[in-house]
Amino acid sequence: MLKLILARLVFMAAAGLLLLTFLFGLFHAIPGDPARLIAGDSAPEALVQSIRQAYGLDQPLMTQYTTYMGRVLHGDFGLSNFSRQPVLKIVMPRLLNTAKLAGWSMLLAMSLSLLLGSLSAMYWDRPLDRGITAFSLAGICTPIFVTGILGLYFFGVHLRWLPIGGMTSWKHYILPVLTLGLAQAAGFTRMVRACMIDALGRDFITTARAKGVPERVIVFKHGLRNALLPIITFFGLGLGHMLGGAAVAESIFNWPGLGRLMVDSILTRDLPLTQGCIFFFAMVFILVNLVVDLLYRWADPRIAHD
Amino acid sequence: MDILRRYARDRVGLFFGIVLLAFYVIALTANWITPSDPFETNLAEGLQPPSAAHWFGTDQFGRDTFSRVILATQVTARITTISLLFSLLIGVPIGMVVGYIGGLADAVVMRLTDMLLIFPTIMIAIIIVVVVGPSQSGVVIALGLSQLPNFIRIARSAALSVRQELYVEAAVAAGASWPDILLRHVLHNISGPIIVKSTLALPGFVLGASSLSYLGLGVQPPTPEWGQMLHEAKDFLTSAPYLIIGPAIALSLFVLSANMAGDSLNETLDPKLKGRRVKRILPRLAGRIA
Repeated sequence: MLKLILARLVFMAAAGLLLLTFLFGLFHAIPGDPARLIAGDSAPEALVQSIRQAYGLDQPLMTQYTTYMGRVLHGDFGLSNFSRQPVLKIVMPRLLNTAKLAGWSMLLAMSLSLLLGSLSAMYWDRPLDRGITAFSLAGICTPIFVTGILGLYFFGVHLRWLPIGGMTSWKHYILPVLTLGLAQAAGFTRMVRACMIDALGRDFITTARAKGVPERVIVFKHGLRNALLPIITFFGLGLGHMLGGAAVAESIFNWPGLGRLMVDSILTRDLPLTQGCIFFFAMVFILVNLVVDLLYRWADPRIAHD
Repeated sequence: MDILRRYARDRVGLFFGIVLLAFYVIALTANWITPSDPFETNLAEGLQPPSAAHWFGTDQFGRDTFSRVILATQVTARITTISLLFSLLIGVPIGMVVGYIGGLADAVVMRLTDMLLIFPTIMIAIIIVVVVGPSQSGVVIALGLSQLPNFIRIARSAALSVRQELYVEAAVAAGASWPDILLRHVLHNISGPIIVKSTLALPGFVLGASSLSYLGLGVQPPTPEWGQMLHEAKDFLTSAPYLIIGPAIALSLFVLSANMAGDSLNETLDPKLKGRRVKRILPRLAGRIA
């Protein structure tokens, strides 16, 4: 196991280096003169020239690449074009905020979908199951910026129960977490339902029923445990996609997270900041993937022996 | 014809298929059926609640929201159709070739798509927008490229199973060259699953286009797009909440009908799946955008 984790960490480092190379290429693939971009459209040519020299943009590409990689490996992602703050210093607190939002939403999505999915499978093809299926279909078909804005209107503007943006008190968490969590729960529920229907149809469930095991124990212990394997994979995949959705949710609720920072930096053409955001987002995705992989091996020891 | 008749047997699927078709009819005729000019501003009539003249009210510039929702249907239909073609025309040949020849090329392409599939499509789309810039064509390229791995995989697995068939072996024995086999036998036999997957991927394209536009990275004003209209409407939640009605309904209904119609079509072309609708949602979940 330890060897595996170590191998995976090496893979992650390699993926990180590849990603940095890609981002460096990205920086140079963007049309326009980067020095001109930093200086601004109306800046005199002399200033642009001095910036070009200060940033080493007049150096050959290979030299620029090695200096860039060297700097990044020391944790120096450069300065934001606008605030002049180190990128790392701006990104870190934002990353934490996104993690808070995604963490609570994920918790909500997982617990709700396990409950609803199991209930749906227990009452298969009956009114309760139909109702839950309709809920999840509605959730899958409604983009989060629609549900988010509707929630914002009813609870924030119309009823005035909840704040409409920011993240200063626990009340600020309710709308964003509900929007993101319910959207994810909708997809998860269908998946848990399918896995549970599959698990509850196996022979050992019939045996348990014949022995007189209570239905509650059958579903939540025997059924759920056997359905867990595919569920873990989908929860992991879902977490990655939820981080993607977080970019949209953050922009609806003015949540000071990494997703909104990334979008803002693209709109203001703040390239060093965009690079930093993409790098950290990507590393989170890779990390999540590794954790899911390890969890999967833990849940099904048979895989480890393959 | 037989397929159409079988498709029509599923009442729910038929209904949503007709709704989806209606969206495309609206998209094609949008230039003639808008009750007023979607771009004409009239500040004196700004932010008016729904009325007989303006069904969804007017926005801050006095433009008729109903007309803008109709024109947005055209914009969405155009973006999704072109980006879908983009993914198909690039993804299917790549997937087909690597699936058929196998070996190193197959392994490399598969590892690459594996790596790309770790990232949510919206993230890949956003990164592509950084390079090509926020615009309508930017959305098309971003969506087309970000969905590419899915299409490569579909075409590959279809080609892989066709390769084992006896008729391919017969063609090889008869001395057919491999481009000939790919075009005549493989492409012909994988077109069914690819058509189905294309309809199932449609909701993802629509959601992607509107999410990017909502973030300000997609369709730029004054061109209307549902996501972009919702983004503008958000600023007037207190004074003009009715502005969200039109785009919200249109967007959700389009995605819902594309989902249901795709499901039905899938069932029609592959009767083995009958009654197992839940299971088919799984692979699509992975491609979900927002």
